[in-house]
Amino acid sequence: MFKLSEDGLKYVKSELTRYETKQSAIIRCLYRAQDENGGWVSPEVIQHLSEVMEIPAAQIEEVATFYTMFNKQKVGRYHVQVCCTLTCGMLGGRELTDAMMKEAGCKKTGETSADGLFTFSKVECLGSCDTAPMLQINRDPYIESLSTEKAVQLVRDLRAKAKGH
Amino acid sequence: MLKCTLNGREVEVKEGTTIIEAFYQNKIDIAHYCWHPGLSIAGVCRLCMVEIEGNPRLQIACNTVVTEGMKVNNQSAKVKEAVKWGLDFHLINHPLDCPICDQAGECGLQDQYMKYGQYDSEMAEAKQKKHKVVDLGPRVVLDSERCILCSRCVRFTDEVSKTNELGIFNRGDRAEIGTFNGKPLANKYSINTVDICPVGALTSKDFRFRQRVWFLKDAETVCTGCSTGCNVKVYYNREGLFRVKPVYNSEVNGHWMCDEGRDVYKFVNKESRLLDARVVSGVKSEHMTAFEAAKRVGEKLKGAGKTVGLVLTGSYTVEEYEAILSYFKTEVGTDRVFHWINNPESFEGFDGLLLRGDRNPNTRGLVQAMQKHGLTAQWKELTEALSTGSIQTLVVAGPENQVWFPDFKVKVAELSKATRLIWMTSGKSSALDELKGEVTLIPMKSYIEKSGTFVNHTGRAQTIRPVTSIVKGALSLTEVVTAFRGEALQGSEVVPGRSENEVGRGRIHNEFTLSRGTW
Repeated sequence: MFKLSEDGLKYVKSELTRYETKQSAIIRCLYRAQDENGGWVSPEVIQHLSEVMEIPAAQIEEVATFYTMFNKQKVGRYHVQVCCTLTCGMLGGRELTDAMMKEAGCKKTGETSADGLFTFSKVECLGSCDTAPMLQINRDPYIESLSTEKAVQLVRDLRAKAKGH
Repeated sequence: MLKCTLNGREVEVKEGTTIIEAFYQNKIDIAHYCWHPGLSIAGVCRLCMVEIEGNPRLQIACNTVVTEGMKVNNQSAKVKEAVKWGLDFHLINHPLDCPICDQAGECGLQDQYMKYGQYDSEMAEAKQKKHKVVDLGPRVVLDSERCILCSRCVRFTDEVSKTNELGIFNRGDRAEIGTFNGKPLANKYSINTVDICPVGALTSKDFRFRQRVWFLKDAETVCTGCSTGCNVKVYYNREGLFRVKPVYNSEVNGHWMCDEGRDVYKFVNKESRLLDARVVSGVKSEHMTAFEAAKRVGEKLKGAGKTVGLVLTGSYTVEEYEAILSYFKTEVGTDRVFHWINNPESFEGFDGLLLRGDRNPNTRGLVQAMQKHGLTAQWKELTEALSTGSIQTLVVAGPENQVWFPDFKVKVAELSKATRLIWMTSGKSSALDELKGEVTLIPMKSYIEKSGTFVNHTGRAQTIRPVTSIVKGALSLTEVVTAFRGEALQGSEVVPGRSENEVGRGRIHNEFTLSRGTW
């Protein structure tokens, strides 16, 4: 069973007082809960939030399924979101994703690699067309102006980093 | 009051009225799906577009309030074009499986398409595949492909039943109605979502695939499920009743009714009815007509005095109570009349919306009638009288619907202590069939077959009229009294086949009231 940490609970309580309606706080609280649950929103997370926020679970589920930034499936430690919209797509975003997936050992997008480190998603425009192709890992700053080599190297570096820890 | 013009007709409406309400109040047709008078405004279907003079863009009628001198039109070419394309968008992912769809014949999409659509679809894309035959709960099935996402059902569980089971999950053309994590839609009012669903997305498990709606006639009556007395419409044909839907009455039930009330029709149909009278005497058992049996009973009752007891349940009409009580007081000569309360523990219960613990349509009418005749006997006096043998003949006007009499079998056993038992009931029961000794069973009419008045828990008297005949020869209590007296019956009360286009007082003819039971 998922439960928010004490700090997380405090955060949710303060968010609830921020807006005119409780429903407005759902997105921020979902973000927090997703981070505490290892990067994804499970039904238990929604159930728990529903109890803490006193909002029907169906209403939280509506928000969680509407927005793509909430993962409804388990993801790896690094959720790699590669932009494949126009500019990035033309400059090789999709090919770059395939190369990274091959390196990481993922057969298709949405699937987590066997070592539990990588999940890849092709996403729509992240608003950084001038530095295409680009990607974002979890909610960290963008990694921009990529080439296939750079991207594959990125996967290697991340794996080494994860092993080093 | 504000003056405004609807399609060139000047009308007056109250301040704060929305345009769509003004259209309804003046009985002018307007296309819509998501708006429902019993729910909040969503403004999602975009079908109630109207042109307002001086406003370059079309507005939605459901969320625009009438202002003084407003000139509104929903007949212009611009509006018709907008509605037509609105419909086309609704139909993009709709499967058009009308031949196998239960909603066919009372479907909002079909109706609006015939009125405003009639175009050739220009969609070249393949339709989205979604979940079909989703078991939402004990009484409702969902077909997501047919859904147009009007959100009426979601608003119903949010605002009326306040159970919040339903939501719209995912986004864009993947959006679907569903419940959180498979939690069933199991509230006591769930079939209302089927009623208000303008398409065939939500269907009732009970009515699904049982009958095409155009083979059914309908008539308005009152639900006998509890002392609230919801106004309902029953749908029937020659085989019997098929379903019950609520009818709007702001004073009683609003737009809704409970799921249990929808089962009431089942006890009216032939398979659960007592079909002819039976006189059992020792090992001998004789079948005869209800009238003949009642006549024979009457011969013995006349002037029998205080050895006769009468047990009444709250299932009968005011007129019937009056007839039988005055007969027993004056002609039989007994004041031993007892009120059988079916569930004394939960009798005063109320679920906060409609359903009451008193599962009788006319308890109040019975109590009033007994008071009027000065009858004050308590149930325990009957128990005593039966054990001492001071009551020998017991006449029981049994419950119409035994399901809501949890103590039925116990009471049958208790009352069968009487030397002679006359049991009048509309429903058959194994407990009654097994009775030994001198027993007369008389088949009674159900509420569908007789006229009369029910007084609900607030004291509101509501009349019912005969809808159709199901068991030929069954009697009402009034007719039983006539038979007791040995007089001839005054013809049959039943008027078979009331017109299906008959709409009750204060109701409005429109595509929804005519075909869907509720707006």
